[in-house]
Amino acid sequence: MESFVNAIVSGLISGSLYAAMALGLTIIYGISRVFNFGHGVVALMGAYTAWLFVQEAKTAGLPLLAGMVISCAVLFGFGMLVYQFAMKPLMKKANWEISTVLFMLGMGILMENVILQLFGPRVKSIPVFAEGYLKVGMVQINWHELIVIGIVLAAIILLNLFFKVTRTGQSMQAVAQSVSGAKVVGIDIERIFGLTFGLAFAVTGFSGILLGTKYFMNPHIGWEWMVKGFVIVCFGGLGSTNGAIYAAIILGVVEALATLYFGAMWVWPIWFAIFLVVLLVRPQGILGGRA
Amino acid sequence: MLEVRNVNNHYADLHVLKQVSLTVKQGEIVALFGPNGHGKSTLLKTICGLHPATSGSILFNGQEITQIPSHKIVEMGIAYIPEERHLFGDMTVFENLNLGAYNTRAHKSLKQNLEFVFETFPRLAERKNQRCSTMSGGESRMVAVARGLMSEPSLLLVDEPSIGLSPSMRSTVFQSLEKINREKGITILIVEQEIRDALKLSSRIYMIKKGGILFERPAASLDVSEIEKAYF
Repeated sequence: MESFVNAIVSGLISGSLYAAMALGLTIIYGISRVFNFGHGVVALMGAYTAWLFVQEAKTAGLPLLAGMVISCAVLFGFGMLVYQFAMKPLMKKANWEISTVLFMLGMGILMENVILQLFGPRVKSIPVFAEGYLKVGMVQINWHELIVIGIVLAAIILLNLFFKVTRTGQSMQAVAQSVSGAKVVGIDIERIFGLTFGLAFAVTGFSGILLGTKYFMNPHIGWEWMVKGFVIVCFGGLGSTNGAIYAAIILGVVEALATLYFGAMWVWPIWFAIFLVVLLVRPQGILGGRA
Repeated sequence: MLEVRNVNNHYADLHVLKQVSLTVKQGEIVALFGPNGHGKSTLLKTICGLHPATSGSILFNGQEITQIPSHKIVEMGIAYIPEERHLFGDMTVFENLNLGAYNTRAHKSLKQNLEFVFETFPRLAERKNQRCSTMSGGESRMVAVARGLMSEPSLLLVDEPSIGLSPSMRSTVFQSLEKINREKGITILIVEQEIRDALKLSSRIYMIKKGGILFERPAASLDVSEIEKAYF
């Protein structure tokens, strides 16, 4: 019983990390319909940037939170640049869907190797927010992981508020629901796409930092993160942020229980079995459904 | 107010608009007739910048707008109401109207415009919290027109507002267009297949055929049979 409860808790923790990771992917897809095949490497760029500021720039002596803010800002700018110089011209082409996928894939491979050149192949990890753990009854949870869950929850709430309340957020939703409608009411689509890439890259980088605090990272781990992200967003319904969050939590708990009862090597087969069943029964994912 | 001069437009290799010239004066309602697929909707999309002209020039209040992006044209005061409506289906009526007032000029007078829109379409006031994807064809059409009005236009381009509507809903839509023109002084250029209703509404008509203007006449001098003849 005790190990079961703790597995559920640990599943919720990795679930919330996966949710953060899937958000960036689903934001880009939902609004611009570009599928980011460089997603994992973008997350890794966020993680390495934060690592650089927290671990390496000792003279600056930045706390993790400040490193996260800087890293998100850098990734926001990078996302805007990628849109401005690559996506904007590519999205005007007739076969933009495949062109953008190939570009993102190529950019991922390029940045993976840039990271390899700059930081070397050795595994690194980002220091945790706090040491020690909290024990309540039979549940044992690290302070760090508790803080991570809090940060992810805060990020999800802030993002929802942003989409609901701000004019830029509302116009992003408008573009997601109807590009023609958005043009008709006078929204500057290209500006919104640019901001979307900035926002999504920042969110993706943010999730990479959190992943980097929980797992070790090397320049190649991004692809594994990306595959997990793909399964989650397809499971949750492409372009649906809430769907991605639910899917991430379900798959996080499944992962923890599978590890507990069958061993870690069964996680991927079970994930994909569930994923394939969902695709057969409900191809649009659990919450997808928008045309 | 609106001056279209020798405009040509293409869809890939297809020459859709051929040397089209047309004027709309301040306060007028002008109807655009013509068979399906002969360029009426394309002309509206060309004017509002969704499908910019390949050559020719379009002047709005004396200002060249031919190659200006659509979001700036909305800001200048032209609203286009597409036949396909293009509503934000997962949003409520209110959220759609709110986004209609996206440009900074209209955003300042959002409250007054909302009042006028709800007064013109009382049904929308009752249903302002309903999601648009759950509304009937007639109601969605009202939302589309209302959303266009929220951008505070001085020129409204309306593409087949009556298509697919019941006769009673049709007359509601036409009455509201008449009211918009009379009370707000908004100039209207309308594409319509319901010739009888549109003739009553408008002061002048243009007939488009095979991408070119066939003739231009005052509405009063025409009867329905003359126009129907021109269709064939």
